[in-house]
Amino acid sequence: MTEDILNAINRVKVEQSYLAYVALSNLTADVQGLGFNSYRIAILRNFTIEPLIPVIKGEAIRYGLAPDIYISDFDAIAESVMNESSDLYKKNPDIIIIAQWGEGVSPALSSRFIGLSKEEVDNEVSRIVSTTKSWFSEIRKKSNAPVLINNFISNGIATLGILDYQSDAYQKHTLSRLNKYLLEMSKDFSDIYWVDLCSLFSQIGYTNSVNEHTWQTARAPISKNALLQTGLEFTKYIRALNGKARKCLVLDCDNTLWGGVIGEDGLDGIRLGNDYPGSAFINFQQECLNLYNRGIILALCSKNNETDALEVFRKHEYSILKEHHFSTWQINWDDKAKNLCRIAEDLNIGIDSLVFVDDNSFECQWVLKQLPQVEVINLSKEPFNYRNELMSFGFFDTLTFSGEDKKRSQMYVSDNQRKVLLKSASSYEDYLNELFLEAEIGRANKDNLSRISQLTQKTNQFNLTTRRYTEGDIDRFLNSNDMDVYYLKLKDRISDLGLIGVAIVKYKNSLAYIDSFMMSCRALGRGAEDVLMSIIIQRARKLGCNNLIGTYIETNKNIQVSNFFDKQKFIFIEKIDNVTTWNLKIELNSIKKYPKWIIVKENNL
Amino acid sequence: MNSNEKKLKKIFSDIFKIEENTVDENSSVDNIESWDSLNHLNLILALELEFGISFSEEQTVEILNYSLVKLVLQEHGVSFENG
Repeated sequence: MTEDILNAINRVKVEQSYLAYVALSNLTADVQGLGFNSYRIAILRNFTIEPLIPVIKGEAIRYGLAPDIYISDFDAIAESVMNESSDLYKKNPDIIIIAQWGEGVSPALSSRFIGLSKEEVDNEVSRIVSTTKSWFSEIRKKSNAPVLINNFISNGIATLGILDYQSDAYQKHTLSRLNKYLLEMSKDFSDIYWVDLCSLFSQIGYTNSVNEHTWQTARAPISKNALLQTGLEFTKYIRALNGKARKCLVLDCDNTLWGGVIGEDGLDGIRLGNDYPGSAFINFQQECLNLYNRGIILALCSKNNETDALEVFRKHEYSILKEHHFSTWQINWDDKAKNLCRIAEDLNIGIDSLVFVDDNSFECQWVLKQLPQVEVINLSKEPFNYRNELMSFGFFDTLTFSGEDKKRSQMYVSDNQRKVLLKSASSYEDYLNELFLEAEIGRANKDNLSRISQLTQKTNQFNLTTRRYTEGDIDRFLNSNDMDVYYLKLKDRISDLGLIGVAIVKYKNSLAYIDSFMMSCRALGRGAEDVLMSIIIQRARKLGCNNLIGTYIETNKNIQVSNFFDKQKFIFIEKIDNVTTWNLKIELNSIKKYPKWIIVKENNL
Repeated sequence: MNSNEKKLKKIFSDIFKIEENTVDENSSVDNIESWDSLNHLNLILALELEFGISFSEEQTVEILNYSLVKLVLQEHGVSFENG
């Protein structure tokens, strides 16, 4: 990355200002030449969305994408969607954003509500639901791109004043009913995501968010105070859809998880308790714990004596966070950038999976400079703001939340126990034998679809093609006659690792193609990938295929699997740019035996 | 150069995608090609956010060149004096 772009990204991170986004978005043409993945964003709108564009472009660049934006004509949502040869479809977008302003969609519900009969209100609500539904079904006929669409925000002051809230039939309730119907209706379609502007604007405040003056003069309703956050509310989805959600929260200790300095103030002297400021630190710890329960890995990076800092988690009665919540820590006097690298290495995740939180702006600046891949939250001096500061960027936001997530952070803690076992075992194979590994492999079904899509979006290192799929994509694969989606679950005597491997195979004539093959990092080194490959070969043979084609698409993160097919006895065919193709002749003796330390259970094969 | 002057030139440069050193007292809607109605809206937003002020409706339509922008900013207490 060039210095210019790096500086512009850092300026956005530090200033979080509109102008910083404008400056970064001005470099869009530069990043297009730099190997950033091109990302086509089509925006359909009924209001002036242009002021938001620098934020959308800037964020996309921050995620390593080269944004290519198409904006429809004003008020041309229906026209673009319904017309098969519209520019929308010609652009073949990676994502479609429908940005709609309620007053434009329904002047009746927005400003003339009091003049309508109950029947007219109901008709207007059903009209909007059915129009929106027709958009979705048209889009889905022509495009699989995820759709982001915003809900309707509630008006400032209702015509009926204080009376309005008293009846379900009045304005505010009608709008929330409309939002609810729209949400329910869209469940019939895949990959429709509702951007909850209604909740964002109530957080910022209606009068702060909406600028009546620019709405009436330029059809630009979003005020300067809400500009950044509105843009970010849309781009949070772009981050999640592109597998850029962060996995690990790395926390400083002093003045971050408690007030004061443990090494000086001691266990009784630090601020952590029911009275302010201690109460603010409890709130912040609670939010970290909530993230832990969402499956985010917690780690510590603090300049302290290790025993001093750990004592708080072990002994302090008000510390909600306990030692067992942290998967790893670097508590020493070394450079924090170095310590963050050690943490990533320890957890076997990328540096770009980390979010680092510290109250010390020197440490934050240093990390930003040394490790631009890390997202940094520099806490303000006001502990009561900490919780909001942690959550407002949506660094950890994902599109799904599965049972696996709840377990994940505990799994990383179990990994530490495995390390202990490994140290005591006489050989690696002994260690594997002692783990009592059990693999379950099967063809995917509706129940694990969400987790499978999530793995395709999040796995970077052991991933041979890095193709990202939404739940809608996977659902289509399941219903297709010429494809198989395999899942791999693994458990050992220490814990259940859950669904950690996915393979997608396409069949054509007598050839089988490995479209995707990936494993979560925490399951590596146990030979489970050999079992999965063996099952793929067995089934391809059963279906009458005589060759299995594998491709490896090199990214800057998956170098560790560059010789995977070689190890699996595939023959090298060709290399074009970053794509290597391999072939395996399917014969009886090409089926590999399972490693003897794994018990394999097959399901629905 | 006064720091507010520097800031103002940077805003012009970022919003209109022009070199900072080409911005001067004569810069206006007539000689900056990218100064269209949309970028005018972005200019207003950037000025308000960067200087922490709010323009009146009248002001937003009259600031069509660099000198007028400075004048209106001065009305909001932004100083362009040296030292």
